[in-house]
Amino acid sequence: MSTKANKNAQVFETDDPNRIQDIGWTFREVWRRSRGFVVTSLNITIFFILWELVTIYGNINSLFLPRASDMFAELWTGLTTRAPEGAVFSGSILDHFLHSFNNLMVGLAIACAIGIPGGLLMGGNKYIESILSPYVWALASLPRIALVPLFILFLGFTTTMQVTIIVISAVFPIMINAWAGVKTTEKSLLAAAKVFGANRRQLYIKVVLPYTLPFIISGIQQGIGRGLIGVVIAELFGGSNGLGYLIQRSADTFNTAMTFAVLLLLIIMSLSLINFTRWLEAYVAPWRNTNHV
Amino acid sequence: MSLQNEPIIVAKDLTISYELHRERKKLTALQDINLDVKAGEFVVLVGPSGCGKTSFTNAISGLVPKESGSVTVRGEEVTGPGPDRAMVFQDYALLPWRTVESNVRMPFEFQDLGISESEKNKRVKECLDLVDLTGFEKSFPYELSGGMKQRVGIARALTTHPDILLADEPFAGIDAMTREAMQAEMERIVMETGQTCVFITHSIDEAILLGDRVAVISYRPGKIKEIVEVGFPRPRMSNSEVKTSREYAKLRDHIWKLVKDEASQTNRGE
Repeated sequence: MSTKANKNAQVFETDDPNRIQDIGWTFREVWRRSRGFVVTSLNITIFFILWELVTIYGNINSLFLPRASDMFAELWTGLTTRAPEGAVFSGSILDHFLHSFNNLMVGLAIACAIGIPGGLLMGGNKYIESILSPYVWALASLPRIALVPLFILFLGFTTTMQVTIIVISAVFPIMINAWAGVKTTEKSLLAAAKVFGANRRQLYIKVVLPYTLPFIISGIQQGIGRGLIGVVIAELFGGSNGLGYLIQRSADTFNTAMTFAVLLLLIIMSLSLINFTRWLEAYVAPWRNTNHV
Repeated sequence: MSLQNEPIIVAKDLTISYELHRERKKLTALQDINLDVKAGEFVVLVGPSGCGKTSFTNAISGLVPKESGSVTVRGEEVTGPGPDRAMVFQDYALLPWRTVESNVRMPFEFQDLGISESEKNKRVKECLDLVDLTGFEKSFPYELSGGMKQRVGIARALTTHPDILLADEPFAGIDAMTREAMQAEMERIVMETGQTCVFITHSIDEAILLGDRVAVISYRPGKIKEIVEVGFPRPRMSNSEVKTSREYAKLRDHIWKLVKDEASQTNRGE
């Protein structure tokens, strides 16, 4: 067979049906497509097995490096049990996870509610832009962690404080991306819309907004990363629940397996959220991807 | 049409200039352009890059304000875009998030032409048919080749049945073979619809093959150097005798000489 796979080749309705043949599946083709998944799974499995072996035979103090199996056990029990009603402190990972995840989602929602309209307004109106941009750049360039003591002072060790830190962390990437999206809208698209009679409102709704949407999504993607940092920082510094608090607490009580279990959970959570937004970006703006495949 | 041979576009002493941002200077793009375009006529503007050809179509479309002089369409001064003028862009300027069909329908969304929904559907279908894109209605621009994208651009420009079709180097980004096919397509469309067209190009062959008249524009400031009448009967693209005739060669040589001095200036200037 001398055919070669071509990602850009497509079938159109007008194609001659004789051009398209069923070439069937070969073992080689199935392997070629599933290889990435298989290799990654094996890679990770071997990593954990090696970890397990090193901790069993390597004479390593489990205080510093727990067994991988202990970590998974801790993660499993932590996720399948809840604290009893009225408990002062929960050892359940799920409870803390839900608290953090809830905070993150609320924080992201507020960050979007401020960042998206803010960025669009800044991109669309040069007066608003010139008034707001120094503050946006100042706050965006300030390491957000430096603000934490101030927010604790203002708001105490409360959930409000934690959410505020998440919002402050996540809002700027979203705002700046939306702003950049409006600013970089292709001139020829605007010219075309104008030639065909679009007024200012139509230009924004039918050209600028759809053009900016993928920018906003990648802003949210960055916002999730920053927001997660905000979650952990806020909970490390102040508060008595959340995954950040649980990391601190379990490390303080020498429950290293729990610490590692929470770290693993954070990795999984972060990767899932970021992959979701990647997929969303590819879904709403497929033209952006095919350009650099 | 009773308006036949009446000038539909009249440019009178048209001057267009741009302000240079860095230095407080003004750059004259086009100077004292006088050009009449009759209804149903195909006028081609040829000139070196940066000579202001694009400014001329932009002035007719109403995208660019003029410095002095006037452009009138059917006797009315151009102050902004209008449904009587449509444009085909060099980089296609299709909305990437819309299907072919939706892109072609776009002009109807922006302006109320008092057309019924069924008439709009009919026109979209007709125009897609005219540019040979039936079957690609649901495709997205990023799935199409350059030539096909530009056919969408042409269909979009024709849906509103504009009086004037403006084309700004529409085939510049298209490979040589597809380009010839597109030129033939353009000729066929113009012959079928009797469309008035102002067409900009770098290619002398394209100018002669498509134009009823070819205006050669000089380099900075852009002025009309000469307007050359092209007398070959249509269709020219399918008739191999046109391209091989002595007259064609002479005309080509004549225009080339006019453009050559200007093009050499471009090289000196940059």
